[in-house]
Amino acid sequence: MDLYQSLVTVNPVTLIAQICNLFLQMFLVKVFFLDKIKAILDARREAADKEITDAKAAKEEAMVIKATYEQNMLESKAKAEKILQNAQQTASQRGEQIISDAQKTAVAMKQKAEAEIAQEKKRALNDAKNEISEIAMAIAGKVVGRELTAADHAKMVDNFIDELGGEV
Amino acid sequence: MDVSINGARILHTFENVPLLGSVQITQTLAASWLVMAIITGLCIWLGSGLKVTNISRKQAVAEMGYNAIVNFVRGNMGTKFDHYIPLVCTIFITSVISNLISLLGIWSPTADLMTELAWALVVFVLITYHKIKASGFGGYMRGFLDPIFVMAPINVMSECFTPISMACRHFGNILSGTVISTLIYAALTAANNALFGALGSSLVVAVIVTVLGLVPAVLGYRQKKKRLLIPGAIVAVLGVLAVFTNLGASYPWLTVGIPAIPSLYFDWFGGCIQAFIFCTLTTLFIKQAAGD
Repeated sequence: MDLYQSLVTVNPVTLIAQICNLFLQMFLVKVFFLDKIKAILDARREAADKEITDAKAAKEEAMVIKATYEQNMLESKAKAEKILQNAQQTASQRGEQIISDAQKTAVAMKQKAEAEIAQEKKRALNDAKNEISEIAMAIAGKVVGRELTAADHAKMVDNFIDELGGEV
Repeated sequence: MDVSINGARILHTFENVPLLGSVQITQTLAASWLVMAIITGLCIWLGSGLKVTNISRKQAVAEMGYNAIVNFVRGNMGTKFDHYIPLVCTIFITSVISNLISLLGIWSPTADLMTELAWALVVFVLITYHKIKASGFGGYMRGFLDPIFVMAPINVMSECFTPISMACRHFGNILSGTVISTLIYAALTAANNALFGALGSSLVVAVIVTVLGLVPAVLGYRQKKKRLLIPGAIVAVLGVLAVFTNLGASYPWLTVGIPAIPSLYFDWFGGCIQAFIFCTLTTLFIKQAAGD
Protein backbone atom coordinates (compact mmCIF):
# COMPACT_ATOMS: atom_id res chain seq x y z
CA MET A 1 0.00 0.00 0.00
CA ASP A 2 1.50 3.28 -1.15
CA LEU A 3 1.48 6.16 1.24
CA TYR A 4 0.53 9.58 -0.09
CA GLN A 5 0.83 13.03 1.32
CA SER A 6 -2.34 15.04 1.29
CA LEU A 7 -2.70 17.38 -1.65
CA VAL A 8 -1.69 20.51 0.23
CA THR A 9 0.61 19.78 3.08
CA VAL A 10 3.39 21.51 4.93
CA ASN A 11 6.43 19.32 5.20
CA PRO A 12 9.36 21.18 6.78
CA VAL A 13 11.90 18.60 5.65
CA THR A 14 10.85 18.94 2.02
CA LEU A 15 10.86 22.71 2.40
CA ILE A 16 14.42 22.81 3.75
CA ALA A 17 15.56 20.27 1.20
CA GLN A 18 14.04 22.31 -1.63
CA ILE A 19 15.78 25.47 -0.40
CA CYS A 20 19.06 23.57 -0.38
CA ASN A 21 18.25 22.16 -3.79
CA LEU A 22 17.64 25.67 -5.12
CA PHE A 23 21.03 26.91 -3.91
CA LEU A 24 22.81 23.82 -5.16
CA GLN A 25 21.09 24.11 -8.51
CA MET A 26 21.94 27.81 -8.65
CA PHE A 27 25.59 27.01 -8.05
CA LEU A 28 25.59 24.29 -10.72
CA VAL A 29 23.86 26.49 -13.29
CA LYS A 30 26.25 29.33 -12.54
CA VAL A 31 29.39 27.23 -12.75
CA PHE A 32 28.47 25.04 -15.69
CA PHE A 33 26.46 27.43 -17.81
CA LEU A 34 26.27 31.11 -16.94
CA ASP A 35 29.94 31.68 -16.10
CA LYS A 36 31.12 29.81 -19.17
CA ILE A 37 28.83 31.65 -21.54
CA LYS A 38 29.71 34.94 -19.87
CA ALA A 39 33.42 34.24 -20.27
CA ILE A 40 32.92 33.44 -23.95
CA LEU A 41 30.84 36.54 -24.56
CA ASP A 42 33.38 38.69 -22.73
CA ALA A 43 36.20 37.16 -24.74
CA ARG A 44 34.30 37.87 -27.93
CA ARG A 45 33.61 41.45 -26.89
CA GLU A 46 37.27 41.95 -26.02
CA ALA A 47 38.28 40.51 -29.37
CA ALA A 48 35.85 42.82 -31.12
CA ASP A 49 37.08 45.81 -29.10
CA LYS A 50 40.65 44.91 -29.89
CA GLU A 51 39.86 44.66 -33.57
CA ILE A 52 38.18 48.04 -33.52
CA THR A 53 41.11 49.58 -31.65
CA ASP A 54 43.54 47.98 -34.07
CA ALA A 55 41.54 49.21 -37.01
CA LYS A 56 41.48 52.73 -35.56
CA ALA A 57 45.24 52.65 -35.00
CA ALA A 58 45.80 51.36 -38.51
CA LYS A 59 43.55 54.08 -39.89
CA GLU A 60 45.43 56.77 -38.00
CA GLU A 61 48.70 55.37 -39.24
CA ALA A 62 47.36 55.34 -42.76
CA MET A 63 46.18 58.94 -42.37
CA VAL A 64 49.66 59.97 -41.24
CA ILE A 65 51.19 58.15 -44.17
CA LYS A 66 48.69 59.74 -46.50
CA ALA A 67 49.42 63.23 -45.15
CA THR A 68 53.15 62.65 -45.54
CA TYR A 69 52.63 61.35 -49.01
CA GLU A 70 50.50 64.32 -49.97
CA GLN A 71 53.09 66.68 -48.49
CA ASN A 72 55.79 64.91 -50.47
CA MET A 73 53.68 65.08 -53.58
CA LEU A 74 53.19 68.83 -53.16
CA GLU A 75 56.87 69.36 -52.52
CA SER A 76 57.93 67.29 -55.45
CA LYS A 77 55.43 69.05 -57.66
CA ALA A 78 56.86 72.40 -56.63
CA LYS A 79 60.33 71.05 -57.15
CA ALA A 80 59.45 69.77 -60.57
CA GLU A 81 57.97 73.11 -61.52
CA LYS A 82 61.10 74.84 -60.36
CA ILE A 83 63.28 72.45 -62.29
CA LEU A 84 61.12 72.93 -65.33
CA GLN A 85 61.29 76.68 -64.94
CA ASN A 86 65.06 76.54 -64.54
CA ALA A 87 65.34 74.33 -67.54
CA GLN A 88 63.18 76.64 -69.59
CA GLN A 89 65.19 79.62 -68.42
CA THR A 90 68.45 77.90 -69.15
CA ALA A 91 67.19 76.75 -72.49
CA SER A 92 66.01 80.17 -73.50
CA GLN A 93 69.24 81.73 -72.29
CA ARG A 94 71.20 79.15 -74.14
CA GLY A 95 69.10 79.67 -77.26
CA GLU A 96 69.67 83.39 -77.14
CA GLN A 97 73.34 82.80 -76.60
CA ILE A 98 73.47 80.46 -79.56
CA ILE A 99 71.57 82.90 -81.75
CA SER A 100 73.75 85.80 -80.76
CA ASP A 101 76.86 83.68 -81.25
CA ALA A 102 75.61 82.65 -84.62
CA GLN A 103 74.83 86.21 -85.49
CA LYS A 104 78.29 87.29 -84.40
CA THR A 105 79.90 84.52 -86.35
CA ALA A 106 77.79 85.35 -89.36
CA VAL A 107 78.78 88.99 -89.12
CA ALA A 108 82.43 88.06 -88.74
CA MET A 109 82.25 85.69 -91.65
CA LYS A 110 80.55 88.28 -93.73
CA GLN A 111 83.16 90.87 -92.86
CA LYS A 112 85.91 88.43 -93.60
CA ALA A 113 84.33 87.49 -96.88
CA GLU A 114 83.88 91.12 -97.82
CA ALA A 115 87.51 91.82 -96.94
CA GLU A 116 88.63 88.92 -98.99
CA ILE A 117 86.45 90.02 -101.87
CA ALA A 118 87.84 93.49 -101.64
CA GLN A 119 91.38 92.21 -101.59
CA GLU A 120 90.68 89.89 -104.47
CA LYS A 121 89.15 92.75 -106.39
CA LYS A 122 92.18 94.90 -105.70
CA ARG A 123 94.52 92.18 -106.80
CA ALA A 124 92.47 91.51 -109.89
CA LEU A 125 92.53 95.19 -110.67
CA ASN A 126 96.27 95.31 -110.17
CA ASP A 127 96.76 92.31 -112.38
CA ALA A 128 94.48 93.76 -115.00
CA LYS A 129 96.33 97.07 -114.70
CA ASN A 130 99.69 95.41 -115.33
CA GLU A 131 98.46 93.36 -118.19
CA ILE A 132 96.60 96.18 -119.78
CA SER A 133 99.69 98.40 -119.45
CA GLU A 134 101.81 95.82 -121.14
CA ILE A 135 99.28 95.36 -123.90
CA ALA A 136 98.89 99.04 -124.23
CA MET A 137 102.68 99.49 -124.39
CA ALA A 138 102.91 96.89 -127.07
CA ILE A 139 100.13 98.47 -129.09
CA ALA A 140 101.46 101.90 -128.54
CA GLY A 141 104.93 100.78 -129.57
CA LYS A 142 103.60 99.47 -132.78
CA VAL A 143 101.53 102.58 -133.37
CA VAL A 144 104.19 105.06 -132.49
CA GLY A 145 106.93 103.02 -133.91
CA ARG A 146 109.30 103.75 -131.21
CA GLU A 147 110.04 102.97 -127.79
CA LEU A 148 108.22 105.08 -125.45
CA THR A 149 110.11 106.77 -122.81
CA ALA A 150 109.57 105.84 -119.33
CA ALA A 151 107.75 109.10 -118.71
CA ASP A 152 105.39 108.63 -121.61
CA HIS A 153 104.87 105.21 -120.55
CA ALA A 154 103.79 106.16 -117.07
CA LYS A 155 101.54 108.95 -118.34
CA MET A 156 99.71 106.70 -120.74
CA VAL A 157 99.19 104.05 -118.16
CA ASP A 158 97.79 106.51 -115.75
CA ASN A 159 95.34 107.87 -118.28
CA PHE A 160 94.22 104.43 -119.19
CA ILE A 161 93.72 103.45 -115.63
CA ASP A 162 91.77 106.57 -114.99
CA GLU A 163 89.48 105.80 -117.86
CA LEU A 164 89.22 102.20 -116.76
CA GLY A 165 88.69 103.20 -113.23
CA GLY A 166 85.85 105.42 -114.27
CA GLU A 167 84.22 102.47 -115.92
CA VAL A 168 84.78 100.07 -113.06
CA MET B 1 -16.12 5.67 -10.70
CA ASP B 2 -13.49 6.63 -8.20
CA VAL B 3 -11.17 9.53 -8.80
CA SER B 4 -8.63 10.18 -6.11
CA ILE B 5 -6.13 12.99 -6.32
CA ASN B 6 -3.31 12.69 -3.84
CA GLY B 7 -0.24 14.63 -3.00
CA ALA B 8 3.25 13.31 -3.51
CA ARG B 9 3.79 9.64 -2.77
CA ILE B 10 5.99 8.97 0.25
CA LEU B 11 8.78 6.79 -1.04
CA HIS B 12 10.56 6.14 2.21
CA THR B 13 10.37 7.28 5.80
CA PHE B 14 13.44 7.50 7.99
CA GLU B 15 12.43 7.34 11.64
CA ASN B 16 14.29 8.92 14.52
CA VAL B 17 16.67 11.07 12.52
CA PRO B 18 18.54 13.35 14.96
CA LEU B 19 17.08 16.87 15.18
CA LEU B 20 14.50 16.29 12.44
CA GLY B 21 12.61 13.33 13.84
CA SER B 22 10.91 11.38 11.08
CA VAL B 23 12.05 12.29 7.59
CA GLN B 24 9.87 11.42 4.63
CA ILE B 25 11.46 11.09 1.24
CA THR B 26 8.61 12.01 -1.08
CA GLN B 27 8.19 11.90 -4.82
CA THR B 28 8.70 15.64 -4.78
CA LEU B 29 12.28 15.29 -3.61
CA ALA B 30 13.06 12.41 -5.94
CA ALA B 31 11.58 14.28 -8.91
CA SER B 32 13.45 17.43 -7.87
CA TRP B 33 16.72 15.55 -7.93
CA LEU B 34 15.83 14.17 -11.33
CA VAL B 35 15.04 17.69 -12.55
CA MET B 36 18.33 18.92 -11.10
CA ALA B 37 20.20 16.15 -12.84
CA ILE B 38 18.49 17.03 -16.13
CA ILE B 39 19.26 20.73 -15.76
CA THR B 40 22.85 20.12 -14.72
CA GLY B 41 23.33 17.74 -17.64
CA LEU B 42 21.81 20.31 -19.97
CA CYS B 43 24.08 23.02 -18.56
CA ILE B 44 27.19 20.88 -18.92
CA TRP B 45 26.20 19.97 -22.46
CA LEU B 46 25.42 23.53 -23.47
CA GLY B 47 28.42 24.93 -21.62
CA SER B 48 30.99 22.64 -23.21
CA GLY B 49 33.02 23.15 -26.34
CA LEU B 50 32.42 26.88 -26.44
CA LYS B 51 34.35 28.92 -28.97
CA VAL B 52 34.83 32.63 -29.48
CA THR B 53 34.38 32.54 -33.23
CA ASN B 54 32.85 30.11 -35.70
CA ILE B 55 30.34 28.86 -33.15
CA SER B 56 28.18 25.76 -33.39
CA ARG B 57 24.39 25.73 -33.49
CA LYS B 58 24.32 24.43 -29.92
CA GLN B 59 26.41 27.35 -28.72
CA ALA B 60 24.21 29.80 -30.61
CA VAL B 61 21.18 28.41 -28.77
CA ALA B 62 23.02 28.56 -25.43
CA GLU B 63 24.06 32.16 -26.02
CA MET B 64 20.54 33.06 -27.10
CA GLY B 65 19.17 31.59 -23.86
CA TYR B 66 21.80 33.38 -21.82
CA ASN B 67 21.06 36.69 -23.52
CA ALA B 68 17.32 36.17 -23.04
CA ILE B 69 17.79 35.67 -19.28
CA VAL B 70 20.20 38.60 -18.97
CA ASN B 71 17.91 40.88 -20.95
CA PHE B 72 14.94 39.74 -18.87
CA VAL B 73 16.68 40.55 -15.58
CA ARG B 74 18.13 43.82 -16.87
CA GLY B 75 14.83 44.82 -18.42
CA ASN B 76 13.02 44.33 -15.12
CA MET B 77 15.70 45.40 -12.65
CA GLY B 78 18.29 47.45 -14.49
CA THR B 79 21.97 46.61 -14.62
CA LYS B 80 22.60 46.97 -10.85
CA PHE B 81 21.21 43.53 -10.04
CA ASP B 82 23.25 41.36 -12.36
CA HIS B 83 24.22 39.13 -9.42
CA TYR B 84 20.61 37.89 -9.30
CA ILE B 85 20.84 36.48 -12.82
CA PRO B 86 21.79 32.99 -11.55
CA LEU B 87 18.86 32.97 -9.11
CA VAL B 88 16.28 34.08 -11.65
CA CYS B 89 17.71 31.77 -14.31
CA THR B 90 17.68 28.82 -11.90
CA ILE B 91 14.13 29.44 -10.70
CA PHE B 92 12.90 29.84 -14.26
CA ILE B 93 14.55 26.78 -15.74
CA THR B 94 13.76 24.60 -12.69
CA SER B 95 10.15 25.73 -12.80
CA VAL B 96 9.78 25.05 -16.52
CA ILE B 97 11.40 21.63 -16.38
CA SER B 98 9.48 20.72 -13.21
CA ASN B 99 6.18 21.75 -14.78
CA LEU B 100 6.83 19.94 -18.05
CA ILE B 101 8.19 16.75 -16.52
CA SER B 102 4.63 15.78 -15.67
CA LEU B 103 4.15 15.22 -19.40
CA LEU B 104 6.43 12.21 -19.05
CA GLY B 105 4.17 10.82 -16.35
CA ILE B 106 6.61 11.79 -13.59
CA TRP B 107 5.37 13.59 -10.49
CA SER B 108 5.91 17.28 -11.01
CA PRO B 109 7.89 18.78 -8.08
CA THR B 110 5.96 22.02 -8.54
CA ALA B 111 2.74 20.16 -7.74
CA ASP B 112 3.99 20.22 -4.13
CA LEU B 113 3.49 23.54 -2.36
CA MET B 114 6.78 23.08 -0.51
CA THR B 115 8.80 23.56 -3.69
CA GLU B 116 7.29 26.92 -4.53
CA LEU B 117 7.30 27.94 -0.89
CA ALA B 118 11.02 27.22 -0.75
CA TRP B 119 11.65 29.51 -3.72
CA ALA B 120 9.28 32.16 -2.42
CA LEU B 121 10.96 32.17 1.00
CA VAL B 122 14.35 32.71 -0.61
CA VAL B 123 12.89 35.59 -2.58
CA PHE B 124 11.21 36.92 0.58
CA VAL B 125 14.53 36.93 2.42
CA LEU B 126 16.06 38.87 -0.45
CA ILE B 127 13.17 41.33 -0.51
CA THR B 128 13.49 41.93 3.24
CA TYR B 129 17.27 42.24 2.97
CA HIS B 130 16.92 44.91 0.29
CA LYS B 131 14.23 46.77 2.23
CA ILE B 132 16.43 46.91 5.33
CA LYS B 133 19.46 47.83 3.23
CA ALA B 134 17.56 50.64 1.54
CA SER B 135 16.05 52.32 4.60
CA GLY B 136 17.83 50.79 7.60
CA PHE B 137 16.26 48.52 10.19
CA GLY B 138 14.40 51.40 11.84
CA GLY B 139 13.08 52.59 8.54
CA TYR B 140 11.99 49.07 7.69
CA MET B 141 10.08 48.75 10.96
CA ARG B 142 8.60 52.23 10.57
CA GLY B 143 7.38 51.19 7.14
CA PHE B 144 4.81 48.97 8.84
CA LEU B 145 3.24 52.05 10.48
CA ASP B 146 2.64 53.68 7.14
CA PRO B 147 0.38 55.61 6.60
CA ILE B 148 -0.88 55.43 10.24
CA PHE B 149 -0.06 53.02 13.07
CA VAL B 150 -3.51 51.42 12.92
CA MET B 151 -2.51 49.90 9.60
CA ALA B 152 0.37 47.99 11.18
CA PRO B 153 -1.38 44.58 11.40
CA ILE B 154 -2.49 44.85 7.79
CA ASN B 155 0.99 45.84 6.67
CA VAL B 156 2.55 42.93 8.55
CA MET B 157 0.03 40.57 6.97
CA SER B 158 0.64 41.94 3.50
CA GLU B 159 4.36 41.50 4.04
CA CYS B 160 3.89 37.89 5.14
CA PHE B 161 1.50 37.12 2.33
CA THR B 162 3.98 38.11 -0.36
CA PRO B 163 5.79 34.76 -0.35
CA ILE B 164 2.62 32.83 0.35
CA SER B 165 0.80 34.41 -2.57
CA MET B 166 3.77 33.88 -4.85
CA ALA B 167 4.01 30.22 -3.87
CA CYS B 168 0.29 29.57 -3.98
CA ARG B 169 -0.16 31.24 -7.35
CA HIS B 170 2.35 28.93 -8.99
CA PHE B 171 1.29 25.88 -7.01
CA GLY B 172 -2.40 26.48 -7.66
CA ASN B 173 -1.95 26.69 -11.40
CA ILE B 174 0.09 23.52 -11.58
CA LEU B 175 -2.26 21.75 -9.18
CA SER B 176 -5.30 22.81 -11.19
CA GLY B 177 -3.59 21.46 -14.31
CA THR B 178 -2.96 18.17 -12.54
CA VAL B 179 -6.53 18.02 -11.22
CA ILE B 180 -8.04 18.80 -14.61
CA SER B 181 -5.78 16.29 -16.34
CA THR B 182 -6.82 13.64 -13.83
CA LEU B 183 -10.48 14.50 -14.28
CA ILE B 184 -10.20 14.43 -18.07
CA TYR B 185 -8.38 11.13 -17.91
CA ALA B 186 -11.03 9.65 -15.61
CA ALA B 187 -13.84 11.02 -17.76
CA LEU B 188 -12.28 9.62 -20.92
CA THR B 189 -11.81 6.24 -19.27
CA ALA B 190 -15.46 6.23 -18.27
CA ALA B 191 -16.54 7.29 -21.77
CA ASN B 192 -14.29 4.64 -23.22
CA ASN B 193 -15.80 1.94 -21.05
CA ALA B 194 -19.32 3.03 -21.95
CA LEU B 195 -18.60 3.27 -25.69
CA PHE B 196 -16.66 0.07 -26.14
CA GLY B 197 -18.81 -1.70 -23.60
CA ALA B 198 -21.72 -1.13 -25.99
CA LEU B 199 -19.89 -1.57 -29.30
CA GLY B 200 -17.67 -4.42 -28.22
CA SER B 201 -20.41 -6.47 -26.63
CA SER B 202 -20.95 -8.36 -29.85
CA LEU B 203 -18.55 -8.93 -32.71
CA VAL B 204 -21.32 -8.42 -35.27
CA VAL B 205 -22.08 -4.89 -34.06
CA ALA B 206 -18.39 -4.04 -34.08
CA VAL B 207 -17.92 -5.29 -37.64
CA ILE B 208 -21.05 -3.41 -38.81
CA VAL B 209 -19.74 -0.20 -37.30
CA THR B 210 -16.38 -0.77 -39.00
CA VAL B 211 -18.05 -1.26 -42.39
CA LEU B 212 -20.35 1.72 -41.82
CA GLY B 213 -17.30 3.82 -41.24
CA LEU B 214 -15.21 2.38 -44.05
CA VAL B 215 -17.78 3.02 -46.79
CA PRO B 216 -17.96 6.83 -46.45
CA ALA B 217 -14.23 6.90 -45.69
CA VAL B 218 -13.35 5.14 -48.97
CA LEU B 219 -15.91 7.22 -50.89
CA GLY B 220 -14.56 10.39 -49.39
CA TYR B 221 -11.02 9.38 -50.25
CA ARG B 222 -11.94 8.60 -53.89
CA GLN B 223 -13.89 11.82 -54.38
CA LYS B 224 -11.49 13.83 -52.25
CA LYS B 225 -14.29 15.04 -49.99
CA LYS B 226 -12.95 15.65 -46.51
CA ARG B 227 -16.49 15.94 -45.12
CA LEU B 228 -17.01 12.27 -45.87
CA LEU B 229 -13.49 11.03 -45.27
CA ILE B 230 -12.87 12.32 -41.74
CA PRO B 231 -16.11 11.20 -39.97
CA GLY B 232 -15.98 7.91 -41.87
CA ALA B 233 -12.42 7.27 -40.80
CA ILE B 234 -13.27 8.06 -37.16
CA VAL B 235 -16.20 5.66 -37.17
CA ALA B 236 -14.10 2.99 -38.89
CA VAL B 237 -11.32 3.34 -36.32
CA LEU B 238 -13.87 3.10 -33.50
CA GLY B 239 -15.25 -0.05 -35.13
CA VAL B 240 -11.81 -1.62 -35.42
CA LEU B 241 -11.06 -0.79 -31.78
CA ALA B 242 -14.41 -2.32 -30.82
CA VAL B 243 -13.44 -5.50 -32.66
CA PHE B 244 -10.16 -5.56 -30.68
CA THR B 245 -12.06 -5.04 -27.43
CA ASN B 246 -14.46 -7.83 -28.30
CA LEU B 247 -11.55 -10.13 -29.05
CA GLY B 248 -10.12 -9.43 -25.60
CA ALA B 249 -7.50 -6.73 -26.32
CA SER B 250 -9.16 -4.23 -24.05
CA TYR B 251 -7.51 -0.86 -23.41
CA PRO B 252 -8.86 2.62 -22.56
CA TRP B 253 -8.34 3.70 -26.17
CA LEU B 254 -9.86 7.15 -25.78
CA THR B 255 -7.17 8.16 -23.31
CA VAL B 256 -4.57 7.88 -26.07
CA GLY B 257 -3.86 11.25 -27.62
CA ILE B 258 -6.97 13.11 -26.56
CA PRO B 259 -5.64 14.28 -23.14
CA ALA B 260 -2.75 15.85 -25.01
CA ILE B 261 -5.06 18.60 -26.26
CA PRO B 262 -6.00 20.10 -22.85
CA SER B 263 -2.49 19.37 -21.63
CA LEU B 264 -1.24 21.72 -24.33
CA TYR B 265 -2.78 24.52 -22.29
CA PHE B 266 -2.59 23.26 -18.72
CA ASP B 267 0.89 21.79 -18.86
CA TRP B 268 2.78 23.50 -21.67
CA PHE B 269 1.30 26.99 -21.66
CA GLY B 270 0.45 27.11 -17.97
CA GLY B 271 3.79 25.65 -16.97
CA CYS B 272 5.82 28.13 -18.98
CA ILE B 273 3.68 31.13 -18.09
CA GLN B 274 3.81 30.39 -14.35
CA ALA B 275 7.59 30.08 -14.46
CA PHE B 276 7.70 33.42 -16.25
CA ILE B 277 5.31 35.06 -13.78
CA PHE B 278 7.25 33.77 -10.78
CA CYS B 279 10.50 35.17 -12.19
CA THR B 280 8.90 38.49 -13.14
CA LEU B 281 7.51 38.87 -9.61
CA THR B 282 10.89 37.93 -8.13
CA THR B 283 12.70 40.61 -10.11
CA LEU B 284 10.03 43.26 -9.61
CA PHE B 285 9.69 42.69 -5.86
CA ILE B 286 13.44 42.81 -5.31
CA LYS B 287 13.77 45.96 -7.40
CA GLN B 288 10.86 47.57 -5.57
CA ALA B 289 12.35 46.60 -2.21
CA ALA B 290 15.69 48.15 -3.19
CA GLY B 291 13.75 51.34 -3.76
CA ASP B 292 14.75 52.28 -7.28
